[in-house]
Amino acid sequence: MMWHRYRLEVIAVVAILCFCGIFLYTSSLMDGAEYAGSDTLGASRAAELAGVAEEDFGPLVPQWVPPSGEIESGLFALQAAVGGIVVGWVFGYWRGQKNRSP
Amino acid sequence: MHIMEGFLPLQWAVFWWVLALPCLAFGVIQLKRILAADREALPLLGVTGGFIFILSSLKLPSVTGSCSHPTGTGLSSVCFGPWVTSVICAIVLLFQSLFLAHGGLSVLGANIISMGVVGPLAGWAIYRSLRGTGVNMYFTVFLACAIADLCTYIVTSLELALAYPAEVGGVTSSFVMFVGIFAITQVPLAIVEGIVLALVFKYIVQLKPEILVRLKVFPEAKIRAAAGDA
Repeated sequence: MMWHRYRLEVIAVVAILCFCGIFLYTSSLMDGAEYAGSDTLGASRAAELAGVAEEDFGPLVPQWVPPSGEIESGLFALQAAVGGIVVGWVFGYWRGQKNRSP
Repeated sequence: MHIMEGFLPLQWAVFWWVLALPCLAFGVIQLKRILAADREALPLLGVTGGFIFILSSLKLPSVTGSCSHPTGTGLSSVCFGPWVTSVICAIVLLFQSLFLAHGGLSVLGANIISMGVVGPLAGWAIYRSLRGTGVNMYFTVFLACAIADLCTYIVTSLELALAYPAEVGGVTSSFVMFVGIFAITQVPLAIVEGIVLALVFKYIVQLKPEILVRLKVFPEAKIRAAAGDA
Protein backbone atom coordinates (compact mmCIF):
# COMPACT_ATOMS: atom_id res chain seq x y z
CA MET A 1 0.00 0.00 0.00
CA MET A 2 1.27 3.47 -0.88
CA TRP A 3 0.65 5.06 2.51
CA HIS A 4 2.37 2.26 4.34
CA ARG A 5 5.40 2.48 2.06
CA TYR A 6 5.92 6.23 2.15
CA ARG A 7 4.66 6.96 5.66
CA LEU A 8 7.97 8.37 6.93
CA GLU A 9 8.46 10.53 3.83
CA VAL A 10 4.99 12.02 4.28
CA ILE A 11 5.61 12.69 7.97
CA ALA A 12 8.95 14.35 7.17
CA VAL A 13 7.49 16.64 4.52
CA VAL A 14 4.58 17.60 6.80
CA ALA A 15 6.97 18.30 9.70
CA ILE A 16 9.21 20.51 7.56
CA LEU A 17 6.19 22.40 6.16
CA CYS A 18 4.86 22.88 9.72
CA PHE A 19 8.26 24.15 10.79
CA CYS A 20 8.26 26.72 7.98
CA GLY A 21 4.64 27.64 8.68
CA ILE A 22 5.28 28.17 12.39
CA PHE A 23 8.32 30.32 11.54
CA LEU A 24 6.34 32.51 9.12
CA TYR A 25 3.50 32.87 11.61
CA THR A 26 5.60 33.67 14.71
CA SER A 27 7.94 35.99 12.81
CA SER A 28 4.95 37.99 11.61
CA LEU A 29 3.82 38.37 15.24
CA MET A 30 7.21 39.38 16.66
CA ASP A 31 8.28 42.75 15.33
CA GLY A 32 11.44 43.07 17.37
CA ALA A 33 12.80 39.56 16.76
CA GLU A 34 16.32 39.72 15.37
CA TYR A 35 16.86 36.00 14.84
CA ALA A 36 20.34 36.25 16.28
CA GLY A 37 22.15 33.05 17.16
CA SER A 38 21.30 31.52 20.54
CA ASP A 39 25.09 31.23 21.03
CA THR A 40 25.34 35.01 20.92
CA LEU A 41 22.36 35.47 23.25
CA GLY A 42 23.88 32.99 25.72
CA ALA A 43 27.16 34.86 25.65
CA SER A 44 25.59 38.24 26.33
CA ARG A 45 23.56 36.76 29.20
CA ALA A 46 26.76 35.28 30.64
CA ALA A 47 28.37 38.72 30.41
CA GLU A 48 25.41 40.21 32.28
CA LEU A 49 25.72 37.62 35.05
CA ALA A 50 29.45 38.22 35.34
CA GLY A 51 28.84 41.97 35.46
CA VAL A 52 31.43 42.55 32.75
CA ALA A 53 30.86 44.25 29.39
CA GLU A 54 30.66 41.76 26.54
CA GLU A 55 33.49 43.48 24.67
CA ASP A 56 35.79 42.83 27.61
CA PHE A 57 35.65 39.07 27.08
CA GLY A 58 38.83 38.44 25.15
CA PRO A 59 39.56 35.01 23.72
CA LEU A 60 41.74 32.87 25.98
CA VAL A 61 43.35 31.38 22.90
CA PRO A 62 43.92 33.76 19.98
CA GLN A 63 41.35 33.11 17.29
CA TRP A 64 40.88 33.89 13.62
CA VAL A 65 37.50 35.50 13.00
CA PRO A 66 35.99 35.49 9.50
CA PRO A 67 36.31 39.11 8.28
CA SER A 68 32.67 39.26 7.17
CA GLY A 69 29.36 37.44 7.32
CA GLU A 70 29.78 36.58 3.64
CA ILE A 71 33.00 34.69 4.27
CA GLU A 72 31.51 33.00 7.31
CA SER A 73 28.45 31.80 5.39
CA GLY A 74 30.72 30.57 2.60
CA LEU A 75 32.69 28.44 5.04
CA PHE A 76 29.47 27.09 6.56
CA ALA A 77 28.29 26.15 3.07
CA LEU A 78 31.62 24.40 2.52
CA GLN A 79 31.11 22.37 5.69
CA ALA A 80 27.65 21.28 4.56
CA ALA A 81 28.92 20.52 1.05
CA VAL A 82 31.63 18.20 2.38
CA GLY A 83 29.00 16.31 4.38
CA GLY A 84 26.64 16.20 1.41
CA ILE A 85 29.28 14.86 -0.97
CA VAL A 86 30.22 12.03 1.41
CA VAL A 87 26.58 11.09 2.04
CA GLY A 88 25.75 11.11 -1.69
CA TRP A 89 28.86 9.12 -2.55
CA VAL A 90 28.07 6.37 -0.03
CA PHE A 91 24.41 6.09 -0.98
CA GLY A 92 25.46 5.79 -4.62
CA TYR A 93 28.08 3.18 -3.72
CA TRP A 94 25.49 1.10 -1.82
CA ARG A 95 22.98 1.41 -4.61
CA GLY A 96 25.53 0.23 -7.12
CA GLN A 97 26.43 -2.76 -4.94
CA LYS A 98 22.79 -3.65 -4.54
CA ASN A 99 22.03 -3.54 -8.26
CA ARG A 100 25.02 -5.71 -9.12
CA SER A 101 24.14 -8.50 -6.68
CA PRO A 102 20.43 -9.16 -7.00
CA MET B 1 25.26 25.10 21.51
CA HIS B 2 28.62 26.69 21.09
CA ILE B 3 30.04 28.48 24.07
CA MET B 4 31.96 31.34 22.51
CA GLU B 5 35.72 31.63 22.89
CA GLY B 6 36.68 33.40 26.09
CA PHE B 7 33.30 32.89 27.72
CA LEU B 8 34.45 30.18 30.09
CA PRO B 9 36.85 31.05 32.89
CA LEU B 10 40.14 29.19 32.61
CA GLN B 11 39.44 26.67 35.37
CA TRP B 12 36.17 25.58 33.74
CA ALA B 13 37.75 25.41 30.28
CA VAL B 14 40.43 23.11 31.68
CA PHE B 15 37.87 21.07 33.63
CA TRP B 16 35.81 20.26 30.50
CA TRP B 17 38.94 19.54 28.47
CA VAL B 18 40.06 17.04 31.10
CA LEU B 19 36.65 15.32 30.90
CA ALA B 20 36.62 15.37 27.10
CA LEU B 21 40.06 13.92 26.40
CA PRO B 22 39.50 10.41 27.78
CA CYS B 23 36.18 10.23 25.89
CA LEU B 24 37.99 11.08 22.66
CA ALA B 25 40.78 8.59 23.35
CA PHE B 26 38.23 5.87 24.02
CA GLY B 27 36.36 6.86 20.84
CA VAL B 28 39.50 6.59 18.70
CA ILE B 29 40.28 3.13 20.12
CA GLN B 30 36.72 1.96 19.47
CA LEU B 31 36.74 3.41 15.97
CA LYS B 32 39.94 1.54 15.11
CA ARG B 33 38.49 -1.69 16.46
CA ILE B 34 35.23 -1.34 14.50
CA LEU B 35 37.01 -0.53 11.24
CA ALA B 36 39.54 -3.33 11.70
CA ALA B 37 36.72 -5.82 12.21
CA ASP B 38 34.65 -4.67 9.24
CA ARG B 39 35.80 -2.35 6.45
CA GLU B 40 32.20 -2.05 5.26
CA ALA B 41 31.48 -0.03 8.39
CA LEU B 42 33.48 2.84 6.88
CA PRO B 43 30.77 3.95 4.37
CA LEU B 44 28.19 3.89 7.18
CA LEU B 45 30.51 6.04 9.26
CA GLY B 46 30.70 8.38 6.26
CA VAL B 47 26.93 8.73 6.12
CA THR B 48 26.39 9.28 9.83
CA GLY B 49 29.37 11.65 10.04
CA GLY B 50 28.27 13.42 6.86
CA PHE B 51 24.95 14.23 8.45
CA ILE B 52 26.67 15.73 11.49
CA PHE B 53 28.59 18.01 9.07
CA ILE B 54 25.43 18.97 7.19
CA LEU B 55 23.02 19.45 10.08
CA SER B 56 25.42 21.28 12.37
CA SER B 57 26.00 23.89 9.65
CA LEU B 58 22.31 24.71 9.24
CA LYS B 59 21.31 27.62 11.41
CA LEU B 60 17.54 27.64 11.61
CA PRO B 61 15.13 30.20 13.06
CA SER B 62 12.92 29.12 15.93
CA VAL B 63 9.82 30.23 17.80
CA THR B 64 11.80 32.26 20.33
CA GLY B 65 12.96 34.74 17.68
CA SER B 66 16.52 33.45 17.68
CA CYS B 67 18.43 30.96 15.58
CA SER B 68 20.06 27.70 16.47
CA HIS B 69 21.31 24.62 14.69
CA PRO B 70 20.58 20.91 14.95
CA THR B 71 23.43 18.59 15.92
CA GLY B 72 22.84 15.46 13.83
CA THR B 73 24.63 13.28 16.37
CA GLY B 74 21.83 10.80 17.15
CA LEU B 75 22.20 8.67 14.01
CA SER B 76 25.89 8.12 14.55
CA SER B 77 25.26 7.36 18.21
CA VAL B 78 22.68 4.70 17.33
CA CYS B 79 24.97 3.05 14.76
CA PHE B 80 28.36 3.37 16.48
CA GLY B 81 27.74 4.47 20.06
CA PRO B 82 28.47 7.79 21.75
CA TRP B 83 32.29 7.56 21.93
CA VAL B 84 32.85 7.23 18.18
CA THR B 85 30.35 10.06 17.74
CA SER B 86 32.41 12.28 20.02
CA VAL B 87 35.41 11.87 17.69
CA ILE B 88 33.39 13.04 14.65
CA CYS B 89 31.99 15.94 16.67
CA ALA B 90 35.47 16.95 17.76
CA ILE B 91 36.48 17.24 14.07
CA VAL B 92 33.44 19.39 13.22
CA LEU B 93 33.89 21.57 16.30
CA LEU B 94 37.60 22.01 15.60
CA PHE B 95 36.78 23.17 12.05
CA GLN B 96 34.22 25.61 13.42
CA SER B 97 36.61 26.96 16.07
CA LEU B 98 39.45 27.48 13.61
CA PHE B 99 37.62 28.88 10.61
CA LEU B 100 34.21 30.13 11.73
CA ALA B 101 34.88 31.60 15.18
CA HIS B 102 32.04 29.41 16.47
CA GLY B 103 33.33 28.10 19.74
CA GLY B 104 37.08 28.26 20.26
CA LEU B 105 40.07 26.24 21.31
CA SER B 106 39.79 26.94 25.05
CA VAL B 107 36.05 26.11 25.13
CA LEU B 108 36.39 23.18 22.69
CA GLY B 109 36.46 20.73 25.60
CA ALA B 110 33.15 22.03 26.93
CA ASN B 111 31.60 21.99 23.47
CA ILE B 112 32.81 18.42 22.84
CA ILE B 113 31.26 17.35 26.15
CA SER B 114 27.86 18.85 25.29
CA MET B 115 27.57 18.01 21.58
CA GLY B 116 29.85 15.00 21.37
CA VAL B 117 29.50 13.18 24.68
CA VAL B 118 26.47 13.85 26.85
CA GLY B 119 23.99 14.49 24.00
CA PRO B 120 24.89 11.32 22.09
CA LEU B 121 25.08 9.39 25.38
CA ALA B 122 21.51 10.41 26.26
CA GLY B 123 20.27 9.47 22.78
CA TRP B 124 22.13 6.18 22.96
CA ALA B 125 20.57 5.39 26.38
CA ILE B 126 17.08 5.89 24.92
CA TYR B 127 17.98 3.74 21.91
CA ARG B 128 19.44 0.93 24.05
CA SER B 129 16.39 0.84 26.30
CA LEU B 130 14.00 0.58 23.30
CA ARG B 131 16.19 -1.54 21.01
CA GLY B 132 14.92 -4.96 22.05
CA THR B 133 11.30 -3.93 22.72
CA GLY B 134 8.36 -3.92 20.34
CA VAL B 135 8.68 -0.17 19.78
CA ASN B 136 8.93 0.76 16.10
CA MET B 137 12.55 0.94 14.91
CA TYR B 138 12.18 4.29 13.16
CA PHE B 139 10.39 5.78 16.16
CA THR B 140 13.30 4.63 18.32
CA VAL B 141 15.77 6.40 16.01
CA PHE B 142 13.56 9.51 16.02
CA LEU B 143 13.52 9.64 19.82
CA ALA B 144 17.24 8.98 20.13
CA CYS B 145 18.09 11.79 17.68
CA ALA B 146 15.67 14.31 19.17
CA ILE B 147 16.86 13.60 22.72
CA ALA B 148 20.53 13.77 21.71
CA ASP B 149 19.91 17.19 20.15
CA LEU B 150 17.94 18.54 23.09
CA CYS B 151 20.32 17.21 25.76
CA THR B 152 23.25 18.86 23.99
CA TYR B 153 21.65 22.25 24.64
CA ILE B 154 20.68 21.39 28.20
CA VAL B 155 24.34 20.55 28.89
CA THR B 156 25.50 23.81 27.31
CA SER B 157 23.11 25.61 29.66
CA LEU B 158 24.52 23.69 32.60
CA GLU B 159 28.11 24.46 31.60
CA LEU B 160 27.35 28.18 31.44
CA ALA B 161 25.31 28.09 34.66
CA LEU B 162 28.16 26.42 36.56
CA ALA B 163 30.57 29.12 35.39
CA TYR B 164 28.09 31.97 35.94
CA PRO B 165 25.85 31.28 38.94
CA ALA B 166 23.26 34.01 39.50
CA GLU B 167 23.67 36.22 42.56
CA VAL B 168 20.20 35.22 43.71
CA GLY B 169 19.41 31.53 43.34
CA GLY B 170 22.92 30.51 42.28
CA VAL B 171 23.53 27.83 39.68
CA THR B 172 19.91 26.66 39.60
CA SER B 173 18.43 29.99 38.67
CA SER B 174 21.01 30.78 36.01
CA PHE B 175 20.58 27.22 34.65
CA VAL B 176 16.85 27.85 34.25
CA MET B 177 17.65 31.08 32.47
CA PHE B 178 20.14 29.52 30.05
CA VAL B 179 17.72 26.66 29.38
CA GLY B 180 15.24 29.35 28.40
CA ILE B 181 17.69 30.67 25.82
CA PHE B 182 19.06 27.41 24.45
CA ALA B 183 16.70 24.52 25.07
CA ILE B 184 13.34 26.13 24.34
CA THR B 185 14.65 27.40 20.99
CA GLN B 186 15.83 23.88 20.30
CA VAL B 187 12.57 21.94 20.82
CA PRO B 188 11.11 22.39 17.29
CA LEU B 189 14.53 21.85 15.71
CA ALA B 190 15.06 18.65 17.68
CA ILE B 191 11.71 17.25 16.52
CA VAL B 192 12.39 17.97 12.84
CA GLU B 193 15.93 16.64 13.14
CA GLY B 194 14.64 13.41 14.69
CA ILE B 195 12.16 12.87 11.87
CA VAL B 196 14.70 13.61 9.12
CA LEU B 197 17.30 11.28 10.62
CA ALA B 198 14.70 8.53 11.06
CA LEU B 199 14.02 8.87 7.33
CA VAL B 200 17.75 8.64 6.58
CA PHE B 201 17.89 5.50 8.73
CA LYS B 202 15.06 4.04 6.65
CA TYR B 203 17.13 4.51 3.48
CA ILE B 204 20.13 2.84 5.11
CA VAL B 205 17.89 -0.10 6.06
CA GLN B 206 16.67 -0.35 2.48
CA LEU B 207 20.06 -0.03 0.79
CA LYS B 208 22.44 -1.78 3.14
CA PRO B 209 20.62 -3.83 5.81
CA GLU B 210 23.59 -6.25 6.08
CA ILE B 211 25.86 -3.68 7.70
CA LEU B 212 23.23 -2.84 10.33
CA VAL B 213 22.79 -6.55 11.03
CA ARG B 214 26.55 -7.09 11.36
CA LEU B 215 26.95 -4.12 13.69
CA LYS B 216 23.91 -5.42 15.64
CA VAL B 217 22.27 -1.99 15.51
CA PHE B 218 18.86 -3.63 15.87
CA PRO B 219 17.85 -7.32 16.22
CA GLU B 220 18.23 -9.03 12.84
CA ALA B 221 14.54 -9.94 12.59
CA LYS B 222 13.52 -6.28 12.95
CA ILE B 223 15.95 -5.08 10.27
CA ARG B 224 15.05 -7.88 7.83
CA ALA B 225 11.34 -7.26 8.30
CA ALA B 226 11.75 -3.52 7.67
CA ALA B 227 14.04 -4.09 4.65
CA GLY B 228 11.64 -6.61 3.13
CA ASP B 229 8.77 -4.27 3.76
CA ALA B 230 10.02 -1.59 1.44
